[in-house]
Amino acid sequence: MPDIRLTVIDPSGLHARPAARFVQTATRFASRITIHHDGRDADAKSLIALLGLTIRPSSEITLEADGPDADQALAALAAELTPYVAAAAEPAG
Amino acid sequence: MVGLVLISHSGTLVEGLRDMVVQVAGDEVPVAIAGGTQDGRLGTSAPHIAAAIRSTLDAGGDDILVLLDLGSAALSLEIALEDLDVADRARVRVSEAPLVEGAILAAVQASIGASIDEVAAAADGAATMAKLPRA
Repeated sequence: MPDIRLTVIDPSGLHARPAARFVQTATRFASRITIHHDGRDADAKSLIALLGLTIRPSSEITLEADGPDADQALAALAAELTPYVAAAAEPAG
Repeated sequence: MVGLVLISHSGTLVEGLRDMVVQVAGDEVPVAIAGGTQDGRLGTSAPHIAAAIRSTLDAGGDDILVLLDLGSAALSLEIALEDLDVADRARVRVSEAPLVEGAILAAVQASIGASIDEVAAAADGAATMAKLPRA
């Protein structure tokens, strides 16, 4: 199952506007998309679930997609979130 | 697409809320507001509410979710709904959700082409959603 790791760089964290863009983009794809943050998971197609993660600035998120268009979905989500996130540094070692 | 009608005792409040809704959810979701009395005081007005509902129906909202603040807003809304014909009344759903948070969650849900049931459920989630980081 493909995934990507991102760091939230927006000084307000993943706030309402980017979260809404995120949900609007995710729902265009058939794949199930999950966002992992700080030991919790949320359905990326649910704004309530996403805002409920209370994702703070500089924190790391992992997006995971499962389905026929998983790779396209992750690419589209990363592109949509570009002003708000950066690729996470690979873990040392 | 499902449309929204936002009702408050304060015109200023719903004008600001509409700005927030459009910025978060985009400008495709039909949103109408009814705030204050007909002479511009704090309060609610059945004719204002009826006009907002009518404009949203006419703007092509398939179904409409109405969110309101409290107190007499519900009474004024009831009066406004009585004037609708049966077919239009069937397209209007009234939400128990908190006005501000519910409107934003509902608008995002509507923006992705969700049904009235899904939009209403999204708004209801506003009552229990987390706002502060987990301790």
